Amino acid sequence: MPPRLNFHGASRSLAIRSRPSVALRQPGIAQVIARRGYTEKEEQPPGGPNQSGLPPVSEEAGDYGKVKGETQPDVGQGTPVQEILKRDQEGKDNAPDVIKEEIGGAKASAETMTFENLLALGQMENISNGGLASDPVTTIGHKYGLPELPLPPTSNLHYRYDPVINQVTNLLMKHGKLSAAQRNMAFILNYLRTAPPPTPNPIRPLLPGSPHPSHLPLNPIGYLTLAIDSIAPLIRIRSQKGAAGGGAALQIPVPLGLRQRRRQAVEWILDSANKKKSRGSGKDQFAQRFAEEIISVVEGKSNVWERRNLVHKNGTSARANLAIMQRRRR
Amino acid sequence: MPATKKAGVTKKGQKKSARIKSKVPPKPTGKPPMPGERKAMRKRIVLSNTNALEVDGMVDLSREMTGKLENHVGKVVGLEGATVDGLRAAEAFKTTQGWGLFRRPGVLVREESVQLGKRMAGVEQRKETLRIVVDGGKGTGKSMMLLQGMAMAFVRGWIVLNVPEAQEVVNAVNDYAAIPGTTPTLWSQPAYTANWLAQIAKANGPILSTLKLSQKHNLPISVPSDTTLTRLCELGARDSDVAWPIFQALWSEITAPGRPPILMVVDSLSYIMDLSQYRDPDFNFIHSHDLALVKHLTDYSSGAQTLPNGGAFLAASSKSHAPISLSMNLAITQQVERQKGEEITERDPYERKYDQRAEDSLKGVEVLMLNGLSKVEARGLMEYWAASGVLRQRVDERTVAEKWALAGNGIVGEIQRGALRMRI
Repeated sequence: MPPRLNFHGASRSLAIRSRPSVALRQPGIAQVIARRGYTEKEEQPPGGPNQSGLPPVSEEAGDYGKVKGETQPDVGQGTPVQEILKRDQEGKDNAPDVIKEEIGGAKASAETMTFENLLALGQMENISNGGLASDPVTTIGHKYGLPELPLPPTSNLHYRYDPVINQVTNLLMKHGKLSAAQRNMAFILNYLRTAPPPTPNPIRPLLPGSPHPSHLPLNPIGYLTLAIDSIAPLIRIRSQKGAAGGGAALQIPVPLGLRQRRRQAVEWILDSANKKKSRGSGKDQFAQRFAEEIISVVEGKSNVWERRNLVHKNGTSARANLAIMQRRRR
Repeated sequence: MPATKKAGVTKKGQKKSARIKSKVPPKPTGKPPMPGERKAMRKRIVLSNTNALEVDGMVDLSREMTGKLENHVGKVVGLEGATVDGLRAAEAFKTTQGWGLFRRPGVLVREESVQLGKRMAGVEQRKETLRIVVDGGKGTGKSMMLLQGMAMAFVRGWIVLNVPEAQEVVNAVNDYAAIPGTTPTLWSQPAYTANWLAQIAKANGPILSTLKLSQKHNLPISVPSDTTLTRLCELGARDSDVAWPIFQALWSEITAPGRPPILMVVDSLSYIMDLSQYRDPDFNFIHSHDLALVKHLTDYSSGAQTLPNGGAFLAASSKSHAPISLSMNLAITQQVERQKGEEITERDPYERKYDQRAEDSLKGVEVLMLNGLSKVEARGLMEYWAASGVLRQRVDERTVAEKWALAGNGIVGEIQRGALRMRI
C-alpha cells in the first residue's frame, strides 16, 4: 500500500496510544520479571500502566503484516485517531474532551478525504513534481486501482460469457460434457469468422436493424445471435386436451419468453445439423455442421425457416381458440 | 367379414414373444467421399482469412532482418509469399496453430527468435554447424520456433530439409529394406525417402533448380551430367527403389564446396531417440538410429559429421502425446545446467531405460529453453490480434496482465486459447 497522503498533519502529530481491551500480561508482574540487573548502566524509563501492553494498532498491524508477508501500514505516520475511535465506541465516549473536540474536527476532515479530493491532491502533487495532472495518481491507496463503474455485466464469474453463447453452449452439451461443448462452440465461432460473408435472402428477412452481412464474420457472436433470433418463434402451440369437446384437443397459442424462443430456435438448428452428413473426419465435424446450418439460416436456405413459418401459421389460425378458452373460464 | 382378432389370444404355431420390427438402417444417399478426401480435409492448412483485417505497418521478414531481430522484439513480422510457399511445401505449418484466422501468415518475434537468428547468421558466416534442441513446456511455441528457424533459413537462401513429424519415420507404416553391405545393418525407407525428396524439391525449388550436378555418382539409374538438383530429387521421388541412393547423391551435391548452407529440422525429437516400431528378421525392434535416414540426421546432431558450407540441425521436443525419452530428457537437463554453470545432474542409478545411443547423439547439443512470453511480447501479439479484428477487446496493460497471468505467466499457446478460443 502506498503511504497515506500526509496532508492531514493534525491527526498525525497526535500520538494516541490505544487502550488495549485485554492486557496480555499484568504490568506489575512483568516489572518484577524484567527487573534490571545491577550491571546495566542505563535507567529504564518508568513505564506507565498502559505502555507495556499491546503496541499501537498501526505497529501491531505492521508486525502482523511482516509475519504474514502482506503489505504493512506506514508506521512512521502514526495512527490517526479517527481510525481507532471509529471502531471503539467505548473509547470514544470515555475520551478526554480535547480528543472529543478533535473527533469533531476529524469528522469534517473525513469529508475532505473523499476519493475526488485525494485524486485532486495527487494530481497537484504530480504537477509539483514537474509532471502533468493527467498522469496516473499513485498515492490514493488502491493497489490495483479502482474498477470502472458500472461494472460490466460479464464481471461475474457465472455470467462471464455472452448470454446467447452460454445458452447455446449448454444446449450443445451432451452427457454433461461442458468442456467438449465449449470446444465445439469455439470452433463454431471461428468457423463463422473465417467463412465468407453470407448473402441474405430477401424472402427470408433477418431481424430488422441487423448489421450489413459483410460485418458479420468479424463479430461471430453477433452473427450467431442474429441467426438464432431471426428464426426464434414468437409462440408455441399448446394442445389443451379435451378442450374442444368430445375429448378432442384444442390448439392454443402460447407466447414464449426470450430464452424460450432462443431455445426452440437452437433445438431446430440442432435437429437440422444432426440430420446433415459430415463431409470430413475428426472431432470437429458436428461443430462444423452446426456452423454451416447457422450460415444457411442467415442465407435463408435452411428448412428451419419452414418450421418457424408453420408454427406461426398454426398460431395465427389457432388464435380463435383463445376466445373459446376465455369464454370457458368465465 | 373376417373375425376380429382378440388381444392376448395367440394362434397355434405363432410366436408368443413380442415381434419387434428390425429397423433397416437408412441407405446412404449421395456420393460418398473419395478415399483420402476426408483425411485431406482434416490435414488441410488454411493460411488466410479474407474476413480478417490487413494489419498496417507489418514488415516482412527479410534477409537483413534475420541477424538483428532485436529491433522487432514483441512485434509480429509477416512472411513473404516465397517464404510461405517454401514453408508450406516443407510442411512447417501445423493445423493446430491457428493460421486460418488471419489475413496472412505472420510470426511473433521473441527474445529466443533473436538469439536463433543471430546464431544462424553467425554459423553462415563462419561455415559452422549449429546444433540446437528447442525445449519447453506444452504450448510454449517450440514448433513455432522451428518454423521461425525455417523461415529465416528460406530468406537467407539456405536449403531446408524438414521432418515435420518424427513419428512418421519410426512408426512402421512405411516399407523398409536392409541396405546391403552395411555393418551393423542399416535400413532404408524407400517410400518415405521418395516422399521426402519430393518435399525437398518442392520446398527448395528456387535454389535447387539453379544448382547442377558437379560430381560423378554411381547411381542405379542413368542421370545426365547437366541435371539440376530439383530434377535429381524428382527422379528419386518418382521411383522409391532408387530414392535412398539418390538422396545420398543429393546430399553429396549440396555439401560440395560453394553450395548454400543447409538447415535440418526435426519435430517431436523423442520419437527418434528410442527403438523404432520396425522389426528385424529376428523380430527384434530396430533401433531408430539404425534407420539410415534417422542416422543421417543424428550424425549431425551428435557432431559426428559437420556441414562444410555451414548450416544447422534444429530439433524440438514435443509435449503432447510423444514418448518419453529419458536419455533425451537427461541430455537436455544436463545441457541446460551446463549452460547455466550449475551442478550437472547424473543418471539415475536405479533406472534401466536409458539409451546410450540417444544420449551420445545429443552430446554437446545446445538447448534453447522456451518459457512464457514477456509482457511486452504478449502485448505485441494481442495488439496484432486486435488489429486483425480477431480479438474484439481493448488491449491495455490490464487485459494483457490478466491474459498473461491466466496463461501460466505467458505460455503463448495458453494466451491464444484464452484470447481467441476460450473467450467465447
